[in-house]
Amino acid sequence: MPFTEPRVGATPGRPYDVRIMNALVLDGSRGTECRDALAALQQALADAGHLAEVIPLRERTIAPCRGCFGCWIKTPGECVIDDDGRAVARSIARCDVLVYLTPVTFGGVSSELKKALDRMIPNLSPFFARVCGETHHQRRYRKTPRWIGLGVLSQPDCEAERVFKTLVERNALNLQSERVAAAVVTPASDLAATTAALVKAVAE
Amino acid sequence: MTQRKALLLVGSPRGIGHSTSDRLGSVVLDALKGRSFDTEKLHVHAVMDSPAAFESALAAIGACDTVILSLPLYVDSFPAPVIALLERIAERRVGAGRVRFSLVIQCGFPEAKHNATALAIAERFASEVGWEWLGGAALGGTGGFAKDVGAVLAPVGEAIADGKTVPEVASSVPFPAWLYRFVGNVMWRRQAKKQGATRSLRARPYEG
Ligand SMILES: Cc1cc2nc3c(=O)[nH]c(=O)nc-3n(C[C@H](O)[C@H](O)[C@H](O)COP(=O)(O)O)c2cc1C
Repeated sequence: MPFTEPRVGATPGRPYDVRIMNALVLDGSRGTECRDALAALQQALADAGHLAEVIPLRERTIAPCRGCFGCWIKTPGECVIDDDGRAVARSIARCDVLVYLTPVTFGGVSSELKKALDRMIPNLSPFFARVCGETHHQRRYRKTPRWIGLGVLSQPDCEAERVFKTLVERNALNLQSERVAAAVVTPASDLAATTAALVKAVAE
Repeated sequence: MTQRKALLLVGSPRGIGHSTSDRLGSVVLDALKGRSFDTEKLHVHAVMDSPAAFESALAAIGACDTVILSLPLYVDSFPAPVIALLERIAERRVGAGRVRFSLVIQCGFPEAKHNATALAIAERFASEVGWEWLGGAALGGTGGFAKDVGAVLAPVGEAIADGKTVPEVASSVPFPAWLYRFVGNVMWRRQAKKQGATRSLRARPYEG
């Protein structure tokens, strides 16, 4: 195994080759429906030695994207709207792992999460590129976060789960993320095992 | 026979009169008007901006038998205010068991297939709220390159008027994607010049 210098802040007692990552959890819950999943996720991240910032989006003022593309052609890299959407986009640009936490909403993400995602496009370059045989945008930043999608459902729904996982993968592809993992949990799920597996899948 | 009513929901922040979503959705709505539907058009962002407009929109949705949602693809899905409206429709089960639902969606990338996930989300919504899903039309290249948008969307209006499933319309740009990317990249530079961009288009203001 290659020897890796311990990074500042490495958890005592953990092997040196474990990378400490900064995770950003975008909590798109509209009420308390994701509370247990969030607790399990925070525990899984802490157990793996990662640092986590959680943004409860429903408590943030994020106006809807205006579709003006000012963030590409007027003030490149920054949205023209001065509200919490800018700080969220900044945190996304700087994190190592981006986590979507959301009630699965018609197979997609909640409106609370989506209001932040629509304001994430300043972090992309306007210029097009060919990625996996399709058109996408070039990256703006050298680093792109790894991606975790954790959806919460009140009862199992295979089709909603399939659509949710596809959406998370498509979003990760749009930002050219190197690694992506998604899962959907219900009240019957083993939250600790599921969240630990997600964290492991993107960390390796 | 009772008068049939169709409602067009325009889901672009650029609104009525300014967005591609309005232009394409109106093609379908006009076809329904030609088939003697009563028609009405609402801008989702405006509806979600005012409690009074929101309540009257829910009443309008509850009173019609056909809803067409025309919108741009945003991050592989719908713009946030559209999702917010659908969440509230589902909570109140507005129009359950009665409304027929179709989607007209277009995206900035040249390939129409980018819209597939959004179409699946629309279908899930219909199934969860109890609306009849008629299917939808998906266009690439901002919906602006189909030679004759009227001809592309005409079968959609016809199918909706007949209450039939919408024939699969997936219209990518009618030339190679590399050309679209090349011209698109030139256009971004031109527009930035016109807008007096404050910094390089490749600036990284948030680099840590
Ligand atoms: C916030 C935002 C997100 C977008 N996401 C996508 C996307 O994921 N894929 C895509 O092909 N186009 C995307 N687009 C491009 C729009 O779908 C496209 O510009 C559309 O033609 C706008 O239509 P409108 O005039 O009706 O607003 C996005 C645009 C914006 C502003």
